[in-house]
Amino acid sequence: MPGKLIFREPFCSRRIQVGAVETIDLHAVEFIMIKQIIAIASLLAGTAALAQDAGDLGEAPPEAPYAAVSDLVELPEFLPGLGQLYVDPETLPAGPFLGYDRDGRLSATIYMPPIGDLEGGTSFDDLALGAESVSSVDIYYNAGHPGVEQPHVHVVLYHDPEAKGRLAK
Amino acid sequence: MRWTRRWVLLAGGGGLATLAIPRLPGAAATEVIEMRGTPRGERVWFAPLGLAVAPGTTLHFINKDAGNSHTSTAYHPDLYDRPHRIPAGAAPWDSGFLMPGESFEVKLEQPGVYDYYCLPHEMAGMVGRIVVGRPDGAGWEEAGGDAGALPAAALAALPPVEEILAATRIDVERSR
Repeated sequence: MPGKLIFREPFCSRRIQVGAVETIDLHAVEFIMIKQIIAIASLLAGTAALAQDAGDLGEAPPEAPYAAVSDLVELPEFLPGLGQLYVDPETLPAGPFLGYDRDGRLSATIYMPPIGDLEGGTSFDDLALGAESVSSVDIYYNAGHPGVEQPHVHVVLYHDPEAKGRLAK
Repeated sequence: MRWTRRWVLLAGGGGLATLAIPRLPGAAATEVIEMRGTPRGERVWFAPLGLAVAPGTTLHFINKDAGNSHTSTAYHPDLYDRPHRIPAGAAPWDSGFLMPGESFEVKLEQPGVYDYYCLPHEMAGMVGRIVVGRPDGAGWEEAGGDAGALPAAALAALPPVEEILAATRIDVERSR
């Protein structure tokens, strides 16, 4: 369309026609720019909120609804290999379980999906993370324990390269 | 890595001669049964899995698994409505959850076969069988109960009474 400027909003198919080149409607352009700035600001705010959440979980004990696994079921306070575990009871059995080292530092996020559930077609999607940084992952079978009696899988996301060592004993 | 299971027969000093000529079970007044597990919990078990003892023997259960809690719980309708798999005249027992290093004792007087399990690990086949006395002794009772009510892994793990009597002690070991 000669002599016209066509603006396309980001992530939207709606076209906005602001007029001829000689008579650009600056108010319309400003409106679009403001919308973009607001969108970027919202994204930044969201990122900041995530970082804040991660900070809240970074040190033991995490805030409610997380509770110490050793307070919920008959298990030792510190489990070699997993650390001191906290979980939101509403998320059982899959978790996430948050594993803290002996100094109370968040070191791993663990998921425990029962094998029978997986075989039956249950999927566990969009599970939360204790922290966004993951340095390595271990996956292994577990025969069961109080809280998750069914044979299940441990999916262990370590949050830094030394985490596994700190959780070992 | 693949775990398989094999029977290990430890009859007193061990060996074929001992297997061929079974000795009388359980001279000791107290027998220790350990609750064990691999560090990551892939496997959990009682050690020994099968044991023959004399009437009046005390069983000392101790949790040797650093990363798990265990129970020793008799199969009995009074305990979680499970099948009756101890002699009729015997009292059932339940240790409750034992944390690492904790222990529990029970004395068995009535001759017969006693089957028990670990409450959170029954589905994983963590069961045990105690044979008190001998089938030709007074008051002997065969193993009973509804075997169909047990998880398949638990039923498969229980060693035959004849093997326990022949070996006195049956352990399960891991091999790769």
